[in-house]
Amino acid sequence: MRLSPRAKAAWRRCLTNPRVVTGGVIIGLMAVVAVLAPWLAPHDPQEQDLLATLLPPMWLAGGEARFPFGTDTLGRCIASRLMYGARIALYVAVVAATGAMILGTLLAIVAAYFGGWVDWLISRAIEVWMAFPPVVLALILLVGMGAGVNKVILAIIVIDWTRFCRVIRSEALVVMVRDYIAAAKLAGFSHRQIMLKEMLPAVLPLVITMMSIEMGIAVIVEAIMSFVGLSVEPDVPAWGVMIADARQTMHQAPWGVVLPVGAIFLAVLAFNLLGDGLRRALDTRLVLGRAEAA
Amino acid sequence: MMTLVAKGLSVSARLAGQTVTVLRDLDFAIEPGKILGLVGESGAGKSMIGRVLARSLPSGFVVSGGSLAFSAADGKVRDLVAMDGADLARLLGDRIAFIPQEPLTALNPLLTVRAQFDEHLARLGVPAGDRIARMIDALTQVRLSAPQSLVERYPFQLSGGMCQRVLIAMAFASNPALVVADEPTTALDVSTQATIVQIMRGLQRDHATAMLFITHDLRLAARVCDEIAVLYAGEVVERGPARIISQDPQHPYTRALQAANPPLRGPLTRLVTLPDQMPGLSALASLQGCRFAPRCPTRDASCETASPELRLVAPGHWVCCAPACSGSRPAVPPITRRSAEASGSEPILVVDTVAKHYPGKRDWMGRRGQGVDAVKAASLSVRPGEFVGIVGESGSGKSTLAKLIMGLEAPTAGRILIDGHDVTAPSSATRSIRLGTLQMVFQDPQSALNPRRPVERLVTQTMEAARSGASDAERLARATALLAETGLPPELINRYPAQLSGGQKQRVNIARALCVTPRLLVADEIVSGLDVSVQAQILNLLLDLRTERGIGLVFISHDLAVVRYLCTRMLVMHQGVVVEEGETDAIFARPQHPYTRALLAAAPPDELDSPWPPAPVQETLDATA
Repeated sequence: MRLSPRAKAAWRRCLTNPRVVTGGVIIGLMAVVAVLAPWLAPHDPQEQDLLATLLPPMWLAGGEARFPFGTDTLGRCIASRLMYGARIALYVAVVAATGAMILGTLLAIVAAYFGGWVDWLISRAIEVWMAFPPVVLALILLVGMGAGVNKVILAIIVIDWTRFCRVIRSEALVVMVRDYIAAAKLAGFSHRQIMLKEMLPAVLPLVITMMSIEMGIAVIVEAIMSFVGLSVEPDVPAWGVMIADARQTMHQAPWGVVLPVGAIFLAVLAFNLLGDGLRRALDTRLVLGRAEAA
Repeated sequence: MMTLVAKGLSVSARLAGQTVTVLRDLDFAIEPGKILGLVGESGAGKSMIGRVLARSLPSGFVVSGGSLAFSAADGKVRDLVAMDGADLARLLGDRIAFIPQEPLTALNPLLTVRAQFDEHLARLGVPAGDRIARMIDALTQVRLSAPQSLVERYPFQLSGGMCQRVLIAMAFASNPALVVADEPTTALDVSTQATIVQIMRGLQRDHATAMLFITHDLRLAARVCDEIAVLYAGEVVERGPARIISQDPQHPYTRALQAANPPLRGPLTRLVTLPDQMPGLSALASLQGCRFAPRCPTRDASCETASPELRLVAPGHWVCCAPACSGSRPAVPPITRRSAEASGSEPILVVDTVAKHYPGKRDWMGRRGQGVDAVKAASLSVRPGEFVGIVGESGSGKSTLAKLIMGLEAPTAGRILIDGHDVTAPSSATRSIRLGTLQMVFQDPQSALNPRRPVERLVTQTMEAARSGASDAERLARATALLAETGLPPELINRYPAQLSGGQKQRVNIARALCVTPRLLVADEIVSGLDVSVQAQILNLLLDLRTERGIGLVFISHDLAVVRYLCTRMLVMHQGVVVEEGETDAIFARPQHPYTRALLAAAPPDELDSPWPPAPVQETLDATA
């Protein structure tokens, strides 16, 4: 694929940004672990060893090398469960963020392009939507739809499209006043062509940045929902489920809680670092500001 | 005693690992009560000198040599380059004052004129009790009426010209020894420019202030300045008395600048243009010998290796060119303006008393605020191959008229006909009628060219829209043909707008409009952002297009000389109304409407002997502004 010099420069800025690199490497490693979990995990995540319950991690006194991160109340391997849990977390992060991005960006571009009552309607919908507390809204939606990981994804999309829509609409409005949109109209472009070929590429850097941040949010939401039992089935290993299971014994075996919390923390940190780094590398205003100073 | 003497002043920049000399060995001097004009196109380094004075060079740029000796009334001579930063800060704004290019951005929009002026006077040490009187006095000197009420207003409530007068009043409030004015009238209309120049000259003479007047406009500099230094690529190429530099320049670049300006009076000849454009910073590093040599019409082999020195050719007149250079003037080609007109044929475009009213915003009660009548009643018709100019100042509604013609906005009254078809209301049917007949060239190529499209896909954008779906090979062939037609080198075909110069971008802009072979182009201020030499190239391109394609043009501009050069007929717009219409020559010879007369009088004439700005006209302008 031939990249424009602008895209090449943006790509170079991304690759030299320490935040992008750090976040990207962490997420990349997590993705590898998640994909290869059946081969990497020392045990089946549901395999119980009732003779070895609440074992501490192997580097602590009483730990065993068979269970590198120890075991939970049912003697299940925490390391294996964390690896399988990463699959759920990343699945939700990617699918939910993509869904919210598509819905939000689509409505944002339509609102900015057509303006008038279309814009009015979409903007008011965002305002009403954002007035609801998101966690409460998510709980209501899940109670209404029933539990399940795909329902969680749907809830995140339905709630968080506004986040994309609001920010990208204002960026799209800036693009709309550029003369090249008028030039495309005069060239006989259809509405769809203008929106897809002229406006979407212009807002894409912002979309990518917001996607990354949204993935971090999706990881947290999924953890909360599986903690309260509204996400995955109880027998599926997810980080939220692990925290919920380990909380009764957290005084005797704190690692049961600390390790999944650490996993969530690391994932969210990585997504946020990546998002922040991408914003710095791709935001034309920040980039131009630096170039002018130089 | 000279107020400011620059000796061997050099500025260099670190760029991609190598050191580039941005300003090379500048020598100039300003006497008290005199104005030195620094003239050059964008990239010549003229604004860099103001930045050296204020010590606000961009990071990476350093003064690498030379001195700037400044002497104020106390007789002490200080080197502005070497002196302590705190001492310099005390001089700036007090002994050395600045008049900026953008008056509206130079004033804080959140503070009244009084608050800002008061702060300035407090810094100068004027006692609090005297400040308001000093303020009123200063504002009266810049001929602002009712200064008592004006000081209570905010900058955004004033026009650009009024803001600039406030800034001039502030600059002269400390009775400085030196005033640096960086393009002080570029952002203003012609008639405002005349007033501002008059006020500035008056104050400068009264206070016997030395002034550094930085501009791109040689014609204006000839009017304003006593002495002119012409800069090219960071070097002074010619320096001497304003009259001589503007009437009988010796350096080939100054001559080219002069020749690229279309005249306001007298016979018209085809503008002589220089090839290419001024080298950019990165190109300077690898340039050997005379920096102007690659574009010089009279260069020889020695110019490409040896750098010339400034040498005296007449008392007070220096030229930086090889002594051997004969400086022969290129022969002026014959008049090519106004080729055969297709008179008598049916007009392509008829605009019949159109109006555009923008309704005001609704308040929270749903009541409409007062709207704006951008265009009140405008009519025009264009025949095939005819070049029609629309002249007006900012806010005259000329750009709105262009949008109405193009169907980007719907008129609130009147009719627009193309080949007799009514296309007043924008719809898909009227869009397709327009598409094949009418195309628009936009003002700002920066905004009009999608930065994410390469040149090939920009110029053939209309083929992408067509339902038939042209093949990639067809598009490539069409793009190649369009580049050749608009004088662009074929290797640009895969470049992106960011990799093109301003003139090249504007050519791409024109090439895109030509893709569907329209019979009429609508061009909105397409040369106003360009340097004179590039402007001349674009104007000649438009003339060639008429000869080759018989294309018609609606040319919107604020520049009378450019309209005179291109257009057979012209319209003058003022506050949304066409106040005068007719043959260009007739209007220039016998303007009927007072506004047209004022507009013509406000443009600095070519002959230095005719007075400018003429005093009686001044009053009419103040009344209309």
